[in-house]
Amino acid sequence: MVSTIQQPSNHPLAEYVHRLEAGEALLANNQINVLEVVGILKSYGIVLDAYSKNLIYIADHQFLELFPFFKYFNGEVSLGKLLRFWNHDRINYEYAEYVMKTMMWHGGGDLDTYLDSPEFLERAQRVMQAKTKNNWLVSSLQRFFPDFLPEQIRQLAYYKVLGQFWRVMSDMFIDLSDRFDRKEIQSIAEVVQHVQDALVAAASQPLVYAVEVKGQVYDIIPESAGLTFLMDAAVPYVDTIFFRGTPFLGTVSYNAQAQQIPVFQDQFTYGALYADPLPIGGAGIPPTLLMQDMRHFLPDYLHEIYQRGLRGEDDLRVKICESFQKSMFCVTTAAIRGLMPHPLDTEDPKQRQANRVYLEKWMDRFMTSRLQIVNVPDRY
Amino acid sequence: MLSGLIWIPVLGAILVAFWPQTLASHRYRTLALIFAVITLGLSVVLSSQFIQLEPGQQFQEALPWLDNLGLTYRLGVDGLSLPLVLMNCLLTGVAIYSSDEEIRRPRLYYGLLLLLSAAVTGAFLAQNLLLFFLFYEVELIPLYLLIAIWGGARRGYAATKFLIYTAISGVLVLASYFGLAWLSGSFNFDYETVIAHTLPMGQQVVLLSLLLVGFGIKVPLFPFHTWLPDAHVEASTPMSVMLAGVLLKLGTYGLLRFGYGLFPDAWQVIAPWLASWAVVSVLYGALAAIAQTDMKKMVAYSSIAHMGYVLLAMAAATPLSLVGTLMQMISHGLISAMLFLLVGVVYSKAGSRDLNVVRGLLNPERGLPLIGTLMIVGVMASAGIPGMVGFIAEFVVFRGSFPVFPVQTLLCMVGTGLTAVYFLLLMNRAFFGRLSEAVENLPPVTWRDRAPAIFLAVLIVVLGIQPNWLTTWGETTITALAPVSTTVVVKATPIPEVVDPTEKLLKESLLTSSAAIALEEN
Repeated sequence: MVSTIQQPSNHPLAEYVHRLEAGEALLANNQINVLEVVGILKSYGIVLDAYSKNLIYIADHQFLELFPFFKYFNGEVSLGKLLRFWNHDRINYEYAEYVMKTMMWHGGGDLDTYLDSPEFLERAQRVMQAKTKNNWLVSSLQRFFPDFLPEQIRQLAYYKVLGQFWRVMSDMFIDLSDRFDRKEIQSIAEVVQHVQDALVAAASQPLVYAVEVKGQVYDIIPESAGLTFLMDAAVPYVDTIFFRGTPFLGTVSYNAQAQQIPVFQDQFTYGALYADPLPIGGAGIPPTLLMQDMRHFLPDYLHEIYQRGLRGEDDLRVKICESFQKSMFCVTTAAIRGLMPHPLDTEDPKQRQANRVYLEKWMDRFMTSRLQIVNVPDRY
Repeated sequence: MLSGLIWIPVLGAILVAFWPQTLASHRYRTLALIFAVITLGLSVVLSSQFIQLEPGQQFQEALPWLDNLGLTYRLGVDGLSLPLVLMNCLLTGVAIYSSDEEIRRPRLYYGLLLLLSAAVTGAFLAQNLLLFFLFYEVELIPLYLLIAIWGGARRGYAATKFLIYTAISGVLVLASYFGLAWLSGSFNFDYETVIAHTLPMGQQVVLLSLLLVGFGIKVPLFPFHTWLPDAHVEASTPMSVMLAGVLLKLGTYGLLRFGYGLFPDAWQVIAPWLASWAVVSVLYGALAAIAQTDMKKMVAYSSIAHMGYVLLAMAAATPLSLVGTLMQMISHGLISAMLFLLVGVVYSKAGSRDLNVVRGLLNPERGLPLIGTLMIVGVMASAGIPGMVGFIAEFVVFRGSFPVFPVQTLLCMVGTGLTAVYFLLLMNRAFFGRLSEAVENLPPVTWRDRAPAIFLAVLIVVLGIQPNWLTTWGETTITALAPVSTTVVVKATPIPEVVDPTEKLLKESLLTSSAAIALEEN
């Protein structure tokens, strides 16, 4: 008789394999973790709302503008807004662009494939001709550097796709916070389930991109391209931003010649799950921008937790980053569970074994991540 | 007025020490600070009334005391002692302000601190050799107790070592004074009387040697320095501020006032040896600093190196180099006080000064970014980066000494290069890189912690940009101290009248160098 009892995993991170198999999350479930994760995702949701609107605005309304001076103004240019902008009373939209460029650089999903296809190029040519007609500067630029404008349009496509992705995520996080306020969410497992459900619900939402030039609408990513939310935006996003990322300038000195940066992009481990929160606050590093944005929208209960820390307000952004990292492990848990080859509660030993192999592969990637550090209780 | 500078802190000390034990610890600090500020205010008033063009002693006070012993209560201030008195009053205030709010036995602590300040002021103002000696010895007692009671783990050892060394220093100084009296046949110890004695060269050299070793221990100069790093490491931060900022200056002041002042002929004979001694002290201090892993010990050894420059300038004894001695004393007082304050903050927050433990303190949110920034300012000033007082002081020292002792000056200049080496090592290890795990969760730094160092940093920069404010009091006195070679100078090249004091100093230095060349030719 074949035993249906599965042997424990021998993986160095077996504890987390077993947690996931038991329907729990990568992040330990306790009250502080729930408060931190929900609170930080609320402020993240508010920030993502702004990022998303701006990315879509740039993709739609700053299309092939050579000098997009006011691209962060979302079409509302006024002296007051300009003064506030100069006074740094604004959202750091640069962070959103940094993420967009990182996604574009790593590629992944069918979006990457589509943007290299002849169909895309043909559509790009059409819209370029319409846009550069009677514009001698841009048309001559195109003549001398024929790859320049198509690459710009590829980038604008990423603006649009990331904007659409974050639109869904923003609503999901705000909804999570509302449910928490209504006491419908009380554990980390419920947070993960909320995210997973929302991802599944939006999974087949199409990714499309069309611009209007001189009164005519041009499709750049048509619905017929078959790009969808989960596989062509969410999965590449998680892989790029949570795992791979880029070495942040100024945080650590990397010497590429000494092989301190992997040769292959898929071996990068500079993503959010690996990031060291301590350098946050340093000028010129993208995570500082995000944490700076989020600090303006912290819910009171989370702010109070931070103020109780040894340094109070002084290291707020580092604490935000630590909470943010915890929350990203929850989103990653949701993604891992959503992509499981077989249902979690399957009784079939083969399917359970397949799930085990799948989870252990993820754990291989977590080996150098901050998974164990975020699970150290009362670290600060 | 001069007595006020001594007796107001003494009064404060008595009041604080005998105040009923009813106040919170920080209230005693406020009380002590009030007296320190009053004394500082008085010293500022004194400075404003000081006649800068008068080279001799001013505001003199004289009271008969033990006339049979030759001890009179005779005080006076000139351009050499005034800046040092001012710095003492200032750093006393800084030391009190930066003392721990919850310090144990506050009444005794602040009482001793004020007593220390009073004794140091007394030594700078004393115009009688025995009176100077009394003050010189009196300051040992409070400082010994301040290290022995409020010091670190090995405070007993460090305090006793300090006491033995500096007591020997006092004995040697006293022996020299008695020798001078005995050989000159007069037991009047008033400075004005004593300075008129002329002794044979051999006797002068012997007496001067006693003073050199005596004050050399206090400065300290190699090889009499070993008490200093121990004392600094075990002393609390305010004590290190007083020790480096003021106490060491008693040694250099003594050398200039009594060594050079009383035995100018013998001084000129042994000057080349003194210059070489300065080189050894500078290079030894700098090389020893490089080898340290304790931040405080590194700053302590840097003090030994920097005080060597003062000896070099004194040995050269040109008008410019003598101005340089005063500038270097003030500059070192301010810079080392600032560095010790900053190291103190690092120690109190990180719990360690070990460069193998403490790293990455410039971390913007969890580290000590402002303290690190001030540390950069401090080490730049110490390494003689232009724009700060350390540069101009060292520049004047080297410029004044080079015509007389070119080789020794160049070797001392190597010492400034080494300053950059050990302080860059300190900065690189303690402040750059990732914050080490051991110190990831530091308590917050308050503006109270930062304020004294910021104040000194401002002073260091202001005096670096406007060094005339530093030399304005001492220039006339020190120029008058300059050796007989001035007459040779005048014969060699007539000095055109100049109004700007800086220009005047530079001209004099040029002329001294031309005189040296002329002497060599002869």
